[in-house]
Amino acid sequence: MPAYHSEIEEFHSKVGNMAILPLRTKVRGPAPSVNTDNDIIDESLYYFKANVFFRTYEVKSEVDRVLIYITLYITECLKKLVRCTSKDQGQQDLYALAISSFALPGDAGFPLNSVYTKPDNPDLMREYLLQLRQETGYRLLEKVFDTSDDKPNKWWICFARRKFMEKSLSGPV
Amino acid sequence: MAGRLPACVIDVGTGYSKLGYAGNKEPQFIIPSAIAIKESAGVGDTSKRRVTKGIEDLDFFIGDEAFDATGYSIKYPVRHGLVEDWDLMERFLEQCVFKYLRAEPEDHYFLLTEPPLNTPENREYTAEIMFETFNVPGLYIAVQAVLALAASWASRSAEERTLTGIVVDSGDGVTHVIPVAEGYVIGSCIKHIPIAGRNITSFIQSLLREREVGIPPEQSLETAKAIKEKHCYICPDIAKEFAKYDAEPNKWIRNYTGLNTVTKQPFNVDVGYERFLGPEIFFHPEFSNPDFTIPLSEIVDNVIQNCPIDVRRPLYNNIVLSGGSTMFKDFGRRLQRDIKRSVDTRLRISENLSEGRIKPKPIDVSVITHHMQRYAVWFGGSMLASTPEFYQVCHTKAAYEEYGPSICRHNPVFGTMT
Repeated sequence: MPAYHSEIEEFHSKVGNMAILPLRTKVRGPAPSVNTDNDIIDESLYYFKANVFFRTYEVKSEVDRVLIYITLYITECLKKLVRCTSKDQGQQDLYALAISSFALPGDAGFPLNSVYTKPDNPDLMREYLLQLRQETGYRLLEKVFDTSDDKPNKWWICFARRKFMEKSLSGPV
Repeated sequence: MAGRLPACVIDVGTGYSKLGYAGNKEPQFIIPSAIAIKESAGVGDTSKRRVTKGIEDLDFFIGDEAFDATGYSIKYPVRHGLVEDWDLMERFLEQCVFKYLRAEPEDHYFLLTEPPLNTPENREYTAEIMFETFNVPGLYIAVQAVLALAASWASRSAEERTLTGIVVDSGDGVTHVIPVAEGYVIGSCIKHIPIAGRNITSFIQSLLREREVGIPPEQSLETAKAIKEKHCYICPDIAKEFAKYDAEPNKWIRNYTGLNTVTKQPFNVDVGYERFLGPEIFFHPEFSNPDFTIPLSEIVDNVIQNCPIDVRRPLYNNIVLSGGSTMFKDFGRRLQRDIKRSVDTRLRISENLSEGRIKPKPIDVSVITHHMQRYAVWFGGSMLASTPEFYQVCHTKAAYEEYGPSICRHNPVFGTMT
């Protein structure tokens, strides 16, 4: 039984070889905002704990590339949240992380250039990823700080040191 | 066997040795295969360093006592299932027989076990020790995998008792997949998998380290081991299992309480995902081992596909588990499901390739789980050594004195209940 793939098949546009999928979000960006129960971010969060253990991942579709990106980004968020002592601080840190400068596919610092192609329209890609990063951060925050004691949930934090596909968005540090 | 004392059955494994008398259901002793001896620290080969005066050569301990003895060095005479140090092995057996079993070796036949692909020379050494040192009346050296197969008969009806099957033997150090056809090991098809109990323990240990605080570092290994033995099980689907835990943590997350050996204070550990993630590495080895990524089910399938075509169906039909690391709940069920899946896929492909002209008969995959799994090898030995047939196939003292140790190179298959 290999790693888990996205069950979403349908998409209408793409940037580079990543699908632009509708998201349930208030964050503005190229992805259309819809009101579904299960978008790609939900799926990624659901499969995150299982997938993060895999060292290999067979990319089956443009949607899977979005899943991989979100999964790697969740790890980055968790690394930040490990050091947070309150939900407010976590929110600030995740927002700062989302809007900080990040590498696009095709850039030298991007970890998975073998599976992602350089986009023709880098600005669109940047906006799309920014949108994904922000929304992922919001949803993860709710999951990680789901208890009343304002402390990060250890059942999430424990995955901060795992490396999905042995890659990391922040590069070797 | 009127008037005859029961045979002694000794199964010396890499980690633990199982000792007992034939006919019993459980071994009388399960002791670590360790021996503590006095050895001088000087350089030079071992025989020189172990030269002793007087009766010092009787000064050694085996099993659990070996770990408690201070001032001794602990040795493991068996490595990877094979005996490495015959001198120590002889002494180890000496205490097994006299101190633990408390038997007069002259009065009992002996059944010893050997790993598959053991060399005939090793059998000769064993025969020399048994006949010359212990003066046993009879000796039989049985292949562990065959005994494991025999042990599975306990759960089946008489007509289903075969010595054809594939043994998945997983102990602490290594997992073997051994196909056996009519009592003979198909040596060219054996596969060894570097995933076993110890790997599960260290994987659990790493999961705990990433999450739990308060486990004393020097006790982390034994904590992980205790959790593995008490709480682990196999789940059908890990993503769903994670979701279950997150939805109802109170129902699934267990608690483990240990005692700090230094401060004597109890410490608490939440036992969560490692309950199913630990044994999952059999089916997803890449979780813990970057160099080895083939799941156990696939290996078993490949091994059977490598075997002669006429035994493949019987092998699929009789996949027998043995060893402590196969004791996880639902291990057999998961293995059966995963093998069945790949077998069915293959049949479907061949049906499609023939465009519907060939309709292959579906292959029955059945994984046998039974109560004796943990000591399957020993139990199989105990069963076979209590049959009258055993005494006919044993090599006797008389034959040994007539022909020499070479008679023990071959041990006939028996017990097929013909």
